[in-house]
Amino acid sequence: MIEGTPVHFHRMKDMPSSHLLGTGTPMCAGCGGLETLHNMYDILGEKTVFVNAAGCMTLLSVYPFTPFRGGWLYTSMASAPAGAQGVRDAMDIMIKKKKLPEDENMEVVVVTGDGSAYGMGMSATSGAMDRNLNFIYLCYDNEGYGNTGQQYSAATPHAAITSTSKGSHGYPGFKKDLFSIWAAHHPAYVATIIGAEPLDLAKKIEKLQGMTGPRMLISLAPCPTGWDYDPQLSVEIGHLAVQTGVWPLKEYINGKVTHTKIPKQRKPVEEYLKLQGRFKHLFYPQRDEQGIAEIQARIDAYWDNVTE
Amino acid sequence: MFRIRFHGRGGQGMKTASRILGTAFFIEGYEVQDAPRYGAERRGAPIFAYVRADKVAVNERGIISHPDLVVVSDDTLVGMPAAGVMQGIDQNTVLLINSHETADTWQQRLNTQAKIIILPAQEEIEDRAELPYIGSQCAAAAAALSHVISKQTFTQALTEELQHLGDEVVKQNLAVASTAFDAMAPHSGIVKESALPSATDYIKPEWIELPFEKAEISAPAIHSGATSVKVRTGLWRTMRPVINYEKCSGCWWICSTYCPDGAINVTDDKLPDIDYDHCKGCLVCVAQCPPHAIESIPEHIAKEKELAGAKS
Amino acid sequence: MTRKLLTGNGAAAWGARLALTDYIPAFPITPQTEIIEDLSIWIDKGEMDARMVTLESEHSMITAAGSAASSGVRVFTATSSQGLLHGMEMVYTVAGWRTPFVMINVSRGMSSPITLESDHNDIMAARDSGFLQIHCATCQEITDSVLMAYRLAEHKEIRVPAIVNLDGFYLSFTREPVDLPDAEKAAAFVGEFDPENLQFKGSAPLSQAMAVLGGGPYSYFRYEAHLAVQHALSVYDEIADEFADTFGRRYDIIDNYQMDDAEYVFVMLGSFATKAHNAVDSLRKAGWKVGLARLRIFRPFPKEKIRQLLKGRRAVAVIDQNISMGMGGVLHSEFATALYGMKDAPAVLASFIGGLGGRDISQQEFFEMINEIKQASDKGESLEPRLLYTENELTEIRKLQAIAHAEHEEIHQQRDG
Repeated sequence: MIEGTPVHFHRMKDMPSSHLLGTGTPMCAGCGGLETLHNMYDILGEKTVFVNAAGCMTLLSVYPFTPFRGGWLYTSMASAPAGAQGVRDAMDIMIKKKKLPEDENMEVVVVTGDGSAYGMGMSATSGAMDRNLNFIYLCYDNEGYGNTGQQYSAATPHAAITSTSKGSHGYPGFKKDLFSIWAAHHPAYVATIIGAEPLDLAKKIEKLQGMTGPRMLISLAPCPTGWDYDPQLSVEIGHLAVQTGVWPLKEYINGKVTHTKIPKQRKPVEEYLKLQGRFKHLFYPQRDEQGIAEIQARIDAYWDNVTE
Repeated sequence: MFRIRFHGRGGQGMKTASRILGTAFFIEGYEVQDAPRYGAERRGAPIFAYVRADKVAVNERGIISHPDLVVVSDDTLVGMPAAGVMQGIDQNTVLLINSHETADTWQQRLNTQAKIIILPAQEEIEDRAELPYIGSQCAAAAAALSHVISKQTFTQALTEELQHLGDEVVKQNLAVASTAFDAMAPHSGIVKESALPSATDYIKPEWIELPFEKAEISAPAIHSGATSVKVRTGLWRTMRPVINYEKCSGCWWICSTYCPDGAINVTDDKLPDIDYDHCKGCLVCVAQCPPHAIESIPEHIAKEKELAGAKS
Repeated sequence: MTRKLLTGNGAAAWGARLALTDYIPAFPITPQTEIIEDLSIWIDKGEMDARMVTLESEHSMITAAGSAASSGVRVFTATSSQGLLHGMEMVYTVAGWRTPFVMINVSRGMSSPITLESDHNDIMAARDSGFLQIHCATCQEITDSVLMAYRLAEHKEIRVPAIVNLDGFYLSFTREPVDLPDAEKAAAFVGEFDPENLQFKGSAPLSQAMAVLGGGPYSYFRYEAHLAVQHALSVYDEIADEFADTFGRRYDIIDNYQMDDAEYVFVMLGSFATKAHNAVDSLRKAGWKVGLARLRIFRPFPKEKIRQLLKGRRAVAVIDQNISMGMGGVLHSEFATALYGMKDAPAVLASFIGGLGGRDISQQEFFEMINEIKQASDKGESLEPRLLYTENELTEIRKLQAIAHAEHEEIHQQRDG
């Protein structure tokens, strides 16, 4: 963060009360990703070009309907960061050559799901960070290929039932640590966020606005459709993800990782798991003590190493 | 050929209904096609599925434009143009509506020549996105109306299609489906098979030469902001959040910030205001409001109240 | 105007420089790499006011090319074979954005087996994408075609990207004299890129390249792109006239040689046409009425011009440096389509597949192709498609197979004998 930038978002009351992102989108009712996006858009403002990779949010803009008041460009599943590269470079060139007034400049924001960010789009993302591209990247992470019916992806957590891991123990793999992979590129900024913690989110967006270079965000995106829970629980599940320590809120700046919200007394992870149909097999027909304990142990091990 | 279309909301099991009916026809020796219509459908949003059945190979494909039977699981969809329930309906079509209201009421309301039959709504439940067993009921009613599917066959088809959900689910579905099947007995055979379109007397397609247009017009680009507000996603809503302003503490940020769709704005009086044209009814606001000032009521009841209010 | 020796790659780079390209997303691949090397040196020296960015793949490179053009700058990029195919999703995608830029493809045979040498299967894979395609036969034509490609692609009624194709090795690494257009004249000829209303800027909401639902809107957008590509045929002559007036070189949609009274005709694309040119001269000396029709513009396909040109000819030899597996030569199919049902169409439309993976086509093979089509036409017969392949080449592959222990009776005999 640039010294002297005032922080506007001290309290929840500082959050915007009217919203930029147009209503009427085809996202599911209770979509945790949309919650993140609309809060982010309120702070970034309309001079923003969103460059999108194939995923649920590709359907945000379906001709002739768009919720955006600035720019939107759909690219492909693998190459949204490259699309951002072209837009950013073009605007810089146009401004330098005085073909575009400076006040016409826009912030370029990549929006992809976890399917793209953790997998097919990772090479393009890595390349954009190598090139120190001045852009923001939002991964809305609903832990599976949601737009095709929630098959498991590299972001799927251990034991989750998905439409391609329907066995009695769910997904055997473990969620990939994208935060660390990104941080290993030493970009300007990496942070985890979640729509259920709008103040933490707002502070982070405001902080990255004062920076240049790659500014990378992963938002856990509770997904009623893919995770199988009642949509009204979206925010509750988001809170529990933070309170149980499943989703650590943190940021990376200048080689250092800082946790922005350390739960004082972590709730047992089962409080988070039991609300979701994708983990139902851990509780019904009988409790899988060992399975739950393993998940808890991994969370505990993570936090054991957290000091700040 | 029988051409049957099921209309419902995402989550009400219309795809399952079409599969149960398709399997039932198949067991009865019919050649069958069944398919859901995929698109940007979400929970609560209008969707449809369809079944074709014939004694010879079914060569028609795609959406049924002229149905012999239309089954509607949720009567709030009937009058909704976006749901397309009334598309291609004529005097030969039977319209089966799951409703508390009478066939006469619907006949007057819709001013249609189609024959209307009511599938008596089971005991009312709050959230219509979760109508239990409605898919099985619709399939059972459609089977009975066709007159060519025996109850035994239907039972076998339902069991095959729902087996993966467990015996208890099958049993519960069979119970309500059986009632629906029997309730249609007076109308059995009312749905008639219709023929292939005639090639001797037909309306010519109104083909035109597509005019060549400049890129600034013909590129797939939208030159305006927030046009999505023209899409009334409020139609997806089966439960309506209602703010009790006496209880509202005027905190104004919680419901507005948490609403995933940004469908709650704050008025000049610093009070939240729900945009019902776009609220999808996820009820996150109900769950999160600190003083519990937002309650949820079934959308159809809210609509009825609105109508009553407008009349008085 | 300066005349100097340039490789095909050098000529392509000069085209980008003279067109005052703003932005060059790049990725190295043989035999194209020299183009981006030249450009990067010029940019570093300050001789060219452009920005070059090396992406991490051609897929990303073509994405960045499209997104930059959609943001208002003039874009140039270059690739070849595997690179073009790796980026093929985006080749189709950016064409649909209706975003104009110029891409060089240095033709090289497709894997497998992998090769570095030239043929046209790579560029044929882009045939249906919505890119315009200009095919070059000389290094001079490459520089000139890049300039003309910008005019065509950026034309308000067209607005689709364009590929300028040149053959690997035969042009890419081969030096020839090139008249370099005067920089000021070239700049004036190409003009400023006007992105119209398809450009991101802070003051104007613009969503580009979004989804559509339903076949009706989808058909509209796709067919409009088709009409736009087709329209390039209507505006081409005007641009070619202006080019000829300015630079003294005239390029037609079809480059015809000795066609006026030709009874027997070679049809082909690319640099091997200069070999056919020589063959026509030799055959003419021997008393044959032979001509050559080289397609410069392959997309849009100049169907009407082809019909007029080939009407009343006795026989045509279509030479394809590509192969559509299970069908044969792509150009041959397209000519058959163009000529189908035409009165006085040539009775013989023969298919010869040659030059795959850089294999040469000898003068004697050109002569023999004409001999074969003449005989077929005299006898009123049609000709089976032929791969240009000699007995000696088969002997050579047998030797390789023997070493590779490929199981084959004939090879065993050779090995044991």
